[in-house]
Amino acid sequence: MLRSVFRKSLRDQRRALVGWSIGIVLLILLEAALWPSIRDMPDLSQFLQSYPESMRKLFNLEDFGTGTGFLNAELFSAMLPILFIVFAIGRGARSVAGEEEAGTLDVLLMTRVSPVRLVLQQAAALATAVFALGTVLFAAVLACSAAFGLGIGAADLAGGALAMVLLGLEFGWLALAVGAATGRRALAIGVASAAAVAAYVLYVAGQLVDAVKPWQPLSPFQQALDGGPLGAGLPAAYGWMPLAGAVVVALVLPVFNGRDIAAH
Amino acid sequence: MDSVIHTWNLAKSYRGRPALRGIDLAVPRNVVFGYLGPNGAGKTTTIRLLAGLIRPTAGHAEIFGLDVVHEREQAQCRIGYLPGEFVAYPDLTGQQYLRYLAHLRGGVDWSLVERIAKRLDLDLSVRYGAMSHGNRQKIGIAQAFMHRPDLLILDESTAGLDPLIQREFLGMVRDARDDGRTVFLSSHILYEVEAVADIVAILRHGQLVVVESVDKLKTQAVRRIDLTFEGAPPLGELREVPAVRDIRLSGSTAHLVVEGSTAQLFAVAAPHRIAQVVTHEPDLEEIFMAYYGQEAQP
Repeated sequence: MLRSVFRKSLRDQRRALVGWSIGIVLLILLEAALWPSIRDMPDLSQFLQSYPESMRKLFNLEDFGTGTGFLNAELFSAMLPILFIVFAIGRGARSVAGEEEAGTLDVLLMTRVSPVRLVLQQAAALATAVFALGTVLFAAVLACSAAFGLGIGAADLAGGALAMVLLGLEFGWLALAVGAATGRRALAIGVASAAAVAAYVLYVAGQLVDAVKPWQPLSPFQQALDGGPLGAGLPAAYGWMPLAGAVVVALVLPVFNGRDIAAH
Repeated sequence: MDSVIHTWNLAKSYRGRPALRGIDLAVPRNVVFGYLGPNGAGKTTTIRLLAGLIRPTAGHAEIFGLDVVHEREQAQCRIGYLPGEFVAYPDLTGQQYLRYLAHLRGGVDWSLVERIAKRLDLDLSVRYGAMSHGNRQKIGIAQAFMHRPDLLILDESTAGLDPLIQREFLGMVRDARDDGRTVFLSSHILYEVEAVADIVAILRHGQLVVVESVDKLKTQAVRRIDLTFEGAPPLGELREVPAVRDIRLSGSTAHLVVEGSTAQLFAVAAPHRIAQVVTHEPDLEEIFMAYYGQEAQP
């Protein structure tokens, strides 16, 4: 039953969530299936030494010989963060700006749903959806790890999956906030994507250039990926990601509350 | 609290371009208020200001004494609002959509929704995306009426409805008024407003041209009368009558344009043996054009 904006929003995401879940499960299955042959390569360490040093640093290839290091390098350093960010930005941009552009927002706001409640419920629904995708990731890696002998512990995996969720959520909330402030979905996607790319560039530059290193902790990618993310435990730095996203959403509440809703 | 809607110098500009240039409106309780004007006159801007969806550039507005900016949420709860371009979610059926809004509003009697759907001949089991334009508009009407609001604000509400349904809809508007509620009805189509409105306001270039009761407008109005005489029409004597604005002859029939009372006209004409009288009821269209005509000629 559609009893609230929150539930309606989750209902709207169910198809996207199923599609993305299937994609992530297949991706993990594919990577995990490669593991036994990688592990059994006789001259793996020599092979890795032939990579440029910067690549080895960026993807932490020294640990490539372990299941954890393998998945960190192959999936958790770039592929999964990007997937989670793309999913969250798409949903976040749609949740307020999408309704406004479609013209369905007018009638919604005439009910007891105030602009502030609308944004908060949409933010909660987005968090729920990203966490659901993270749970799928957790379950898929756990099952594949058991099936292909990657030897990844549940606790390490939980930390890694949480890093993906929080990283996606930060940029998803940013997209939601820009959409609520401007009413424009394309702009919301653009700003949030640009912010994600900038954060990634800062992270990579920090990894490779010593002069940038002090600034690296500012990047959400650094907060999420430092020392893992598989095997990093539960760093306090994870807290910055939801905090920054929540601050942006909070800042935008008075803006959305006070601005004109665009006529369709 | 006499007025349901009250505005003071309400104005709105979009990026410096004025859409509404300071209007003072007072809509009394328990009337159907027709808000007329051509497209672009500022009707939708007024309505979105009243609904609290946009902020005035100057002036302010109250609904039931509630400021539409500072007490927006309370004001909105008492309004049934149909946007000029109503849109619902294409993947939801009429039933799912209206149930959703009913939950968000609270206190909706679902049997009323079913009665409205029946009256408008609307099948609620169809997905909105698969509905015809007319049926989509019926969903919009149903959501505006479903919580029995004290004030209905309906923007171009009959767009896309076939004539039979239009009549049912106008019946719903009358019923709402007879129920003690108030209806603010915008339109650029005159006859639909004429059929139900007690008071009309005519808007042009973001300014009110006139606010008047429909009855009074009609009595003030210029009307056309055709008098057929048994003999030759007494042209000279008819011309002398002050109320006669214009006169044309075709055979033994005089086509007259008369403003105001017709008493003196008939006193003059009667001795000349009138064979037939045809009066054309003035409609708002002519009144409307008369007001616009005045404006157009400085």
